[in-house]
Amino acid sequence: MVRLSKWLLKEAGTGVNKTLSEILVCPLSKQALRVCEEPPSLISDSIGVSFPMKDGIPCLVPTDGKILDTDDTMKHDNAADDSANNK
Amino acid sequence: MRSLQFSVPLLPTSRFKRHSVRCASDRQQLFNRIAPVYDNLNDLLSLGQHRIWKRMAVSWSGAKTGDSLLDLCCGSGDLTFLMSEKAGADGKVIGLDFSKEQLSIASSRQYLLSKACYNNIEWVEGDALDLPFSNGYFDAITMGYGLRNVVDKRRAMQEMFRVLKPGSRVSILDFNKSMQPFTALFQEWMIDNVVVPTATVYGLAKEYQYLKTSIDEFLTGKELEKLALDAGFSYARHYEIGGGLMGNLVAAR
Repeated sequence: MVRLSKWLLKEAGTGVNKTLSEILVCPLSKQALRVCEEPPSLISDSIGVSFPMKDGIPCLVPTDGKILDTDDTMKHDNAADDSANNK
Repeated sequence: MRSLQFSVPLLPTSRFKRHSVRCASDRQQLFNRIAPVYDNLNDLLSLGQHRIWKRMAVSWSGAKTGDSLLDLCCGSGDLTFLMSEKAGADGKVIGLDFSKEQLSIASSRQYLLSKACYNNIEWVEGDALDLPFSNGYFDAITMGYGLRNVVDKRRAMQEMFRVLKPGSRVSILDFNKSMQPFTALFQEWMIDNVVVPTATVYGLAKEYQYLKTSIDEFLTGKELEKLALDAGFSYARHYEIGGGLMGNLVAAR
């Protein structure tokens, strides 16, 4: 049980698996998704919607999506820029 | 942030006046509720035969080593694990379902089974009517006991067609809506006298009564073949298995 919990936490912490992020597209626009590390999510820039990741599983049912307001778009962009600068 | 809410289309009521209509979110909740006992009940109710039917479904899909494979409405992952064994280390399998609870169980099983080849599986929460994959990506698709539960079967077939590579196959296993009166009666008797009483022991009588309604609303083998051809598949054939109680639709793009 402890091993399983640690494994699940590890999966949640790693966010989006790189291979998976290359396979997945927005369920509505069928355009590419952008990975956001914090909070772990997949962003569909084509329709301005964010889809969450939970326990390492991407939640891409259309009703899971949250429409990004301008402020949220900037926060996601800043988080993406910070992580790019830190690399 | 605003939520992205879509109105879910309800089934037309004129054809199904006798039965209650269930929308997608009702079905999602149903599958979330039965998740903890789903595997045990499958074993019990089919006397373990569902494992044979699922192997047949995978075989019909044409899945092979190195392939990119999709298991739709994967539930707790039975078909996904079989597809994973076919794909091997160089292949990739996506298990997609709209029930978080079922996916959670699938993910736990992947960990507990701890076979190296199962590392090629990724779980995705998604909708069979709006698949999050680009056109022509997969070498084979399986769907086990899922098509009967989607609210728009035509759209599900169109999405499967879209994400399949040309020349590839989809293999859809489900209950058979038999045109043979004896088989149909026997199936109904089994549900009323075996399935529902067993499910009642687990506190899931209502959830398994839904089975009879959903089979009644399902399509016959011939109708499923037509559905696939209308969606653009070049070949479609429905096979009856399990003494006519089950059926497997095989369609090629």
